[in-house]
Amino acid sequence: MSPELVIRNAHVLDPSIGLDRVTDVRLTDGRVAEIGDGLRGTRELDADGLHLFPGFVDVHAHWRTPGREDEETIASGSAAAAAGGFTGVVMMPNTDPVVDKPVIVSGLVRRIEQESRVRAYVSAALHAGLEGKRLTEMRLLKEAGAFCVSDDGLGTASAGVLRNGMLYARSAELPVILHCEDHTLATGVVHDGVAAALAGIPGSPASAEDAATATALILAAETGAKVHITHVSTALSAALVAFFKSWADVTGDTTPHHLTLTDDLVGTLEGMYRVNPPLRPDDDRRGVGDALRDGVLDFVATDHAPHASEEKELPLEEAAPGFLGHETAFAALYSELVLGGVMPLSRLVEAMACAPGRWMGEGAGTLAAGAPADLTLVDLSEEWTVGRENLFSQSANSPYTGRRLTGRVVGTIVGGELIHDRTGARFGVRA
Amino acid sequence: MRSRDFLTIEGASREELREVISLARAHADGRLSRPLDGKTVCLAFFESSTRTAVSFELAARRCGADVISLSEKGSSISKGESLIDTVVTLDRLGADALVLRHPSAGASALAARYTDAAVINAGDGCGQHPTQALLDLYALSEAVGGFDELEGRRVAISGDILHSRVARSVIPAFRAAGMEVAIVAPLTLLPQETGAWNVPILDSVDEALEWGAETLYLLRLQNERMNGSSPRVPSVGEYARFYGVARRHLRDGLLVMHPGPVNRGVEIAGDVVLDGASLVPDQVAAGISVRSAVLTLATGAAHEVAA
Repeated sequence: MSPELVIRNAHVLDPSIGLDRVTDVRLTDGRVAEIGDGLRGTRELDADGLHLFPGFVDVHAHWRTPGREDEETIASGSAAAAAGGFTGVVMMPNTDPVVDKPVIVSGLVRRIEQESRVRAYVSAALHAGLEGKRLTEMRLLKEAGAFCVSDDGLGTASAGVLRNGMLYARSAELPVILHCEDHTLATGVVHDGVAAALAGIPGSPASAEDAATATALILAAETGAKVHITHVSTALSAALVAFFKSWADVTGDTTPHHLTLTDDLVGTLEGMYRVNPPLRPDDDRRGVGDALRDGVLDFVATDHAPHASEEKELPLEEAAPGFLGHETAFAALYSELVLGGVMPLSRLVEAMACAPGRWMGEGAGTLAAGAPADLTLVDLSEEWTVGRENLFSQSANSPYTGRRLTGRVVGTIVGGELIHDRTGARFGVRA
Repeated sequence: MRSRDFLTIEGASREELREVISLARAHADGRLSRPLDGKTVCLAFFESSTRTAVSFELAARRCGADVISLSEKGSSISKGESLIDTVVTLDRLGADALVLRHPSAGASALAARYTDAAVINAGDGCGQHPTQALLDLYALSEAVGGFDELEGRRVAISGDILHSRVARSVIPAFRAAGMEVAIVAPLTLLPQETGAWNVPILDSVDEALEWGAETLYLLRLQNERMNGSSPRVPSVGEYARFYGVARRHLRDGLLVMHPGPVNRGVEIAGDVVLDGASLVPDQVAAGISVRSAVLTLATGAAHEVAA
């Protein structure tokens, strides 16, 4: 049991309980005990000038374990998550081997207990080998500790297989996270826009995502499965998710990079900027931003996807798709969306903590009394430059490298314990 | 005397079922001597079958009927003759009863419109298999001490309901006999409208026992449900664990049934198939008496015997 901790004088912002003021929070036995003015305790943290939010939750991360521990491990991935203020993370199954057997899930669960700084959850594969042919043993996977199932990384080519997968997942009582991509349309490596046309890089049309999203949503409506559409990157797909909210048990997320970057970066011809779904034109970027602001897209997920430098320092057509996400998510979104006037801070906190926490269940994403003591302390005034030297990830493929961002996580608390601590930075103490 | 078709169990009354069961009992006891003497029974199997074909043929012969057997191979069926033309041919050759197995639901009903012979559905696609349900009722009645003892008993049917003509027959049969029915299956092996029969849908055989099942009726899992363009079941291991019956499920009074052929270690653990709790051999044995009774009723011979 963690000892009591009282965080004093923080600006506590938690839309889930309607709190937005400077006050004190008492954490006892790994849970939120009380919030109120003038609290004192044997162990205190002075958070004067800092903001305190419910811990961020990221339902989409690739910690490359098992198989590519040179790119990320549970230890390094969870350190990166903690540095980004994330207290709960879902690990995607497209590893090597694919997380498609109960023994792999139980092995990961055991390693998470030993190696992860944050609460990590395992997503198993929706189909064996992510090959879209055989369903996985979802009921046994759930018994082994799987939190959900997903086809992330590849998607599901056959609508028939996807429909059966949703039905079976419903029988297994597992949520489904879907990567919507039609490979008969997605034949390029970047968005099929002006930048691709000028650069001569093969493009994939937005319909590759939109058609697959529509199919998934229709099947979600028919099967009644709990379906989450991840990394929505087009305005049309966001509109489809909005339309289906009244037809299906469906939620959607979009990523920090689709909210802040555009396919203008294709013009650099740098492999760094290859990602899937690809960076879109500014109309889509603004479209998904508006959808996130309005709650049409329920929350943010980072799609944290570490890659070794030899997989990224290549021509765009040869580079591996994916960006680091955990450590820059809040700062990028605060700088671009909140300071840029797209949405208030409270909505960003809701989209990074409360809404994904609600989706996860387990009392995540709220500071309601009795909830797990998972919190994020942020200094909204700190400006910092993204660079390999201040990232905890084992990889360096951040698209924000060299950019100056505003707002930085200074402390992350999981179960009442400060598991990421930069609170001394104000006094010149390095984390 | 007009002949009587056996196309579906759907809509059968408790009294009709009791009539068949008691006549089957009379056949089993040898109380009827060659009731089908002088009648012609045609077996037309447009789909392969072992136990159903054999048991119908034995039943017809023991009842004294002339039997004509047409199978897909070596007949005009394999030359592409249509169902209707085959039926008309058999009709004109003087069939009194036509026993039909066909890969499409509704084939028996269609055949019945083209012949005055009694049409007995021996399985049509995923539609109906009424004599299977009748022999199941017979075997279960014998095991529990009579047809009237079925009233109020609980039976859980586990497996591929979606593709099962057996399920579509035993569900109404068990209910007409006064039994309470539940289904055990993942959603991938159920119709989209899971409420079609308005019975409870349970998640596992364990849950069926909690529900109070006294009889577990397991359906055969086809291998192609795990592969192909429409995978519905992940593995034998997961299927057996949740939807199959194992020794650990057995308890006093619990009966295990299966229409055959059994996938040992899939629907029923190898050490349960021939356990004392298993009615599987009794179901096969019931086939001849029940099909004799059905043929006798269908051709009107039962009334002649009674008169």
